[in-house]
Amino acid sequence: MKTNMSLLLLTVFVTASLVLTGCQSGGNSSSGGKRIGVTLLTREHEFYRQLEAGLRDAANKQGYDLIVTSGDFDLAKQQSQIENFVVQGVDAIVVCPADSKGIAPAIERANEANIPVFTADISAQGGQVVSHIASDNLAGGRLAADYIARALNGQGTVGIIGQPEVQSGLDRETGFKEEMTKHPGIRIVSVLNGGGVRDRALKAADDMLQGNPELKAIFGINDDSALGALSAAEARNRSDMIIVGYDATPEAVEAIERGGALKADVAQQPRDIGAKTIEAIATHFGGGQVPKIITVPVKIVDSG
Amino acid sequence: MKNKPSSTIHYPLSTIHYLQWQRVAEYAIVVAIVLESIVFAVIAPQFFSVPNLINVALSIAITGILAVGMTGVILTGGIDLSIGSVAALAGVVAALIAGGGGMGGNGVLLGGIAALGVGLVVGLFNGVMIARFRVPPFVVTLAMLTICRGLAFIVTGGRSIGNLPPSFGFLGRERVLGVPVPVVIMLVVFAVGWFVLKRMTFGRYVYAVGGNREASFLAGVNTKRVTLLVYVLNGLLVGLAGVVLASRLGAGVPNAGLQYELDVIAAVVVGGTSLSGGRGSVIGTLWGAIFIGVLNNGMNLAGIDPYMQRIALGVVILLAVLADQLNKSPGELKT
Repeated sequence: MKTNMSLLLLTVFVTASLVLTGCQSGGNSSSGGKRIGVTLLTREHEFYRQLEAGLRDAANKQGYDLIVTSGDFDLAKQQSQIENFVVQGVDAIVVCPADSKGIAPAIERANEANIPVFTADISAQGGQVVSHIASDNLAGGRLAADYIARALNGQGTVGIIGQPEVQSGLDRETGFKEEMTKHPGIRIVSVLNGGGVRDRALKAADDMLQGNPELKAIFGINDDSALGALSAAEARNRSDMIIVGYDATPEAVEAIERGGALKADVAQQPRDIGAKTIEAIATHFGGGQVPKIITVPVKIVDSG
Repeated sequence: MKNKPSSTIHYPLSTIHYLQWQRVAEYAIVVAIVLESIVFAVIAPQFFSVPNLINVALSIAITGILAVGMTGVILTGGIDLSIGSVAALAGVVAALIAGGGGMGGNGVLLGGIAALGVGLVVGLFNGVMIARFRVPPFVVTLAMLTICRGLAFIVTGGRSIGNLPPSFGFLGRERVLGVPVPVVIMLVVFAVGWFVLKRMTFGRYVYAVGGNREASFLAGVNTKRVTLLVYVLNGLLVGLAGVVLASRLGAGVPNAGLQYELDVIAAVVVGGTSLSGGRGSVIGTLWGAIFIGVLNNGMNLAGIDPYMQRIALGVVILLAVLADQLNKSPGELKT
């Protein structure tokens, strides 16, 4: 029995390591082109998958080699990924920081090694960054507010399901609030934290609708927040509500087309963010001047 | 009283104090719930309404189902960190089966059964690792936390599984006599959990194993089997919670249930169950879940700053653990 068990364990380990090494194929192909190290915030969001696709397409066109890793929301992991890039001597580094301030020392290390650093989607505070390429989140929040204000004819109460731990979430919220000051007939009566994930957003929206039964509209700072609010509205038969989300993920777009309470979405263009990042890198390699901040436009998507 | 036989047992004074204190601690949580309810009723007029109280019950339903299983696990001196990930995995498996291949109602039923199966298999794995191979529960379930989350992303390709048959929403969205189905399920789970732990031999063994593993082994309790069974039953409840969660969300969401293990452990601990095992109860856990549910709901209704809400929750957990520490017998406290 004992030996059987150890044999089994051995088999499991061997298989596992075979599978894992198999997954790593294609990491270190050496072409004559430039090598660019990328550390994404995560690979588990559609947004970042699109951003990665945009990076890869553009890099292929330029003949660059991409080494793509994911920090998985973990600052320490991301720092060591950047340190690895420095040791590998890549030609440029692209970071989507897990923490804007905390990433600074790692960027400084790349600066010391004279490797240009670019940030995409989320900015860094500290260290020398050649250029920051991102959606205009303030403008996105304003777009959402404008859409809701028009749908309500400038009258009514609205709520926000936010995520104040994240800069982009805060910016969207700020843009939304700023725009709403232009509509004195609309009051923001509740701002709750949905953590950017659906189940928590659902709970927050439940409380929001409980406390404000007359609520007319909800702005969710990402699609999980909006879809959570949609579930809460549906459970209360509030198909009359106006919910606006952010990111236009396939699931949200489907819900908008179905014609329920989710009426519109602010769409970022993550592929464009990826593509413009590579463009900025190419310009920098060519000796050209790159703007400190490159904003990628957002747009509103509805069933119309 | 010297040299006279006495019909009553004379405990030392400190023990009497201890017993009284234990009773006080049991009621303290109820008093705390009443107090916080009064505070919120004053701040937020919507708080004390039947729809809102149902809303609170709904908000703790999934945590509550999970907390019953976790109470059993913690009573044996163990812990299960994998529950959030396993619930997500169970939910997406249920959604994949329910949504795939036009089986209609049968698909939904099959999906639900498969979700329970996922919970059972993971629970069995955890149990075997912990009981048979003596791997620390913290480590085994930490590993399963990341493995099951990864699996949930792999089987869904990272996307939510939506567009499900309407009957998929029954467990999460329907109501029975005005009471949401998840709340009914939670209450049934609590009743069964109470019966199993307090009235069945197996339940008494759970307490015995957590209180003193060696002593119960020497007394003839099959400690391995008790431990294994606790994790298996816990796994089943996690599968159930996963399918209820997916039903509420109307989709199998691979990143659902993030950090549920912490919410659930908080409810169990606030409810007076000791993390060192052997002491606590399912009823206490129910109070703990209600206390935290009322706190979250009340703070939301009162419009308390989200950053402050986190601090408030942390303070509550600290106070609960402090109470647990004071609740230990005087002898233990001295060391």
